[in-house]
Amino acid sequence: MKVAGKYTDAELLAAIKDERNLNQAILFIYQQYAASTSSFIIHYGGSEQDADDVFQETVVSFIEVVKKGNFRMEASIKTFLVSVAKNIWFNELKKRERSGHREKIFEYGRDQKEQDISHQIGDLEKKRQLRDLVHNLGEPCKKILMLFYYENLSMKELVEHLPYENEQVVRNKKYKCLQALTGFIKSNPAIAQQISEIVKS
Amino acid sequence: MEQNQTLIDHLDNSLRGDASAETQEMINNDPELIREWHYLRLAVDAIQDTGLYEDVGTVKEQWKIQQTSVAKPSMGIVRSITRNAAKIAAMLILVGGGAAFFKYATISSGSLYDKYYTSYSLNTSRGAADEDAMDKAYQARDWQTVISLFSPAKRTNKTDFLTGMANLELKKYDEAIEHFEQVLAANAQAGTDYFQDESQYYLAISWLAKDKVNEALPILEKIRADKNHLYHDKVEQMSFLDLRLVQYKESK
Repeated sequence: MKVAGKYTDAELLAAIKDERNLNQAILFIYQQYAASTSSFIIHYGGSEQDADDVFQETVVSFIEVVKKGNFRMEASIKTFLVSVAKNIWFNELKKRERSGHREKIFEYGRDQKEQDISHQIGDLEKKRQLRDLVHNLGEPCKKILMLFYYENLSMKELVEHLPYENEQVVRNKKYKCLQALTGFIKSNPAIAQQISEIVKS
Repeated sequence: MEQNQTLIDHLDNSLRGDASAETQEMINNDPELIREWHYLRLAVDAIQDTGLYEDVGTVKEQWKIQQTSVAKPSMGIVRSITRNAAKIAAMLILVGGGAAFFKYATISSGSLYDKYYTSYSLNTSRGAADEDAMDKAYQARDWQTVISLFSPAKRTNKTDFLTGMANLELKKYDEAIEHFEQVLAANAQAGTDYFQDESQYYLAISWLAKDKVNEALPILEKIRADKNHLYHDKVEQMSFLDLRLVQYKESK
């Protein structure tokens, strides 16, 4: 199997922050850590598909934590990933309202450090809802917002990638698309409630 | 609208001089603007999270392909097997590996296009005179006439779509893509879905024809995820393993 470079923990964190070879870094994470994390999920009653989904969410959460500068080298990356995966799987089990026995077994495996991680990775259910809203925008809007806010392309570069005449047209289109997305978010009662609480505090 | 545009400019770090500090001051002193600001920030977070989730998903599929294309013995439980069984297994791996290698060597976006392309059949429905003439030319498979009947001044989603299809039939992929994207852009702008599903599907097929699987794949995944999509069943029958394999091959 082709190995995606070899990273020490420090090098891997630097590669994620740097973003230049992010895909190589992600491939390395899969090659090194997916199997052990998946076996853990399967051991605790998950299917292969569950393990697949949980690890994908784990990697996304890990990268977001690192990019925000919230990853502290108190534990190895492997330990951190396993803790995040445990946390995600635990919440998933709770959501599915499986047998109390299984949850109880899992609870014994949790420690204070994992609860801290739960705070770091945020509300996954909300993230999933927000991703759905982004998909609901439709392909043209999703593309323009993704290229600008995720790929960090300039307005000039957007004109080259999209079927619009000039920068002003792209700017107007981007404005409408972002307004459409905030409109979707506002219509989600749970998220609107959270925002109201933040504004009040 | 002007205030919202200012907030977005502030969000994009595109305000110059003191304008940025003034806008921030304005936000801090107005609860309604604070609320709007939080929504905008959340929207950008959602876009970035979606982008990252999709990127991780793409790498995950590459990793899976790597795992399946090179058989690796499990390091976990070692089972005792007889020598004959080992020989048979080795032969199967050899044959399977050969087949996988052959597939890897021969597969391409273009080959997937050849496999999945089917012509679009137009149902007759009466419309404007221009559209009727185009319908007739399309049904007669007179692609050049379809293209010549297209007028940017009188364009509709239907004329754009049919002109896109005529270009696709003539293997003018860039022109086809331009027309299909125009339909999607027009629908996004107007909040309609006229010829939306058809244009999405044939846009993905056009990208495959151009050997651009990275452009085609997100569209096909979206169609596959949408059970109400007109082409959902068709896309579900496609081999996404083949598509991922091409993606992996073309990314190398």
